[in-house]
Amino acid sequence: MFFLEALADAEPPAPGSADGLTVQLRFDGDPPGLFRLGLARAAANAIAADFLGEDAETLTAKQSQDVARELANMICGAVLSRIESRGSFRLSPPEIVTGLELPWGAAAQANAYSVETGNGTLTAAISMETQACQATEKSAF
Amino acid sequence: MAYRVLITDDSPAMRTFVRRVIELSGFDLAACFEAGDGAEALDVLREEWVDAILTDINMPNVDGEELLRRLAEDEMLRSIPAIVISTDATESRIARLLALGARGYVTKPFRPETLRAELERTLGVPVE
Repeated sequence: MFFLEALADAEPPAPGSADGLTVQLRFDGDPPGLFRLGLARAAANAIAADFLGEDAETLTAKQSQDVARELANMICGAVLSRIESRGSFRLSPPEIVTGLELPWGAAAQANAYSVETGNGTLTAAISMETQACQATEKSAF
Repeated sequence: MAYRVLITDDSPAMRTFVRRVIELSGFDLAACFEAGDGAEALDVLREEWVDAILTDINMPNVDGEELLRRLAEDEMLRSIPAIVISTDATESRIARLLALGARGYVTKPFRPETLRAELERTLGVPVE
């Protein structure tokens, strides 16, 4: 669906890295929590171009952001379904966030996963407000 | 036979993508309409006849669950099959939406052939 290949594991970007796009959404359910997706700008554009069937050169910033939001929604939903397929979660609308001092902050650091896409890094991080599912979060990615 | 499909999703990118996937999959598409939420979908359905509705769940105003309820309550519209496209693969949500009247359920991310197969199954398209 997203024609994206994870080439290798990568290090999460440095906190406050400006050359990228970060999407955040909250989920309510048991347990509730927070999901963040970070994309290098070039990776965001390449993914959006594939998704929409457009030329990366002609994409607007809004198109890249819309696709990044959809990608975050999709990854979060897939992860939560794997963690607790019998539970029920409600996802908030994904939002583009800026100015995060600790984008992969202390609570999410242990559950962040980064991959190299060939056009830059993709990082997904999940943080749950209870400890119940901590052990399964990483494997769900 | 070519079919008329309504895509309901608050994400313009997702609507574009679903339309593109339907076209690329080889599904026989006569016309494709788009709506940004359930209320817009009902507006479209007052003007246009469609053979199938593809709908997201989480949308502003009238969400996917409410759209399914309103379709079921409407004598003119209840026969149109609705397929839910959602990231939510939890068993309780799928069961609830099927109970509300959804005829099919496709979990994102999906492959083009999966969406085509679900459309054809729901529409009763003969297998070639």
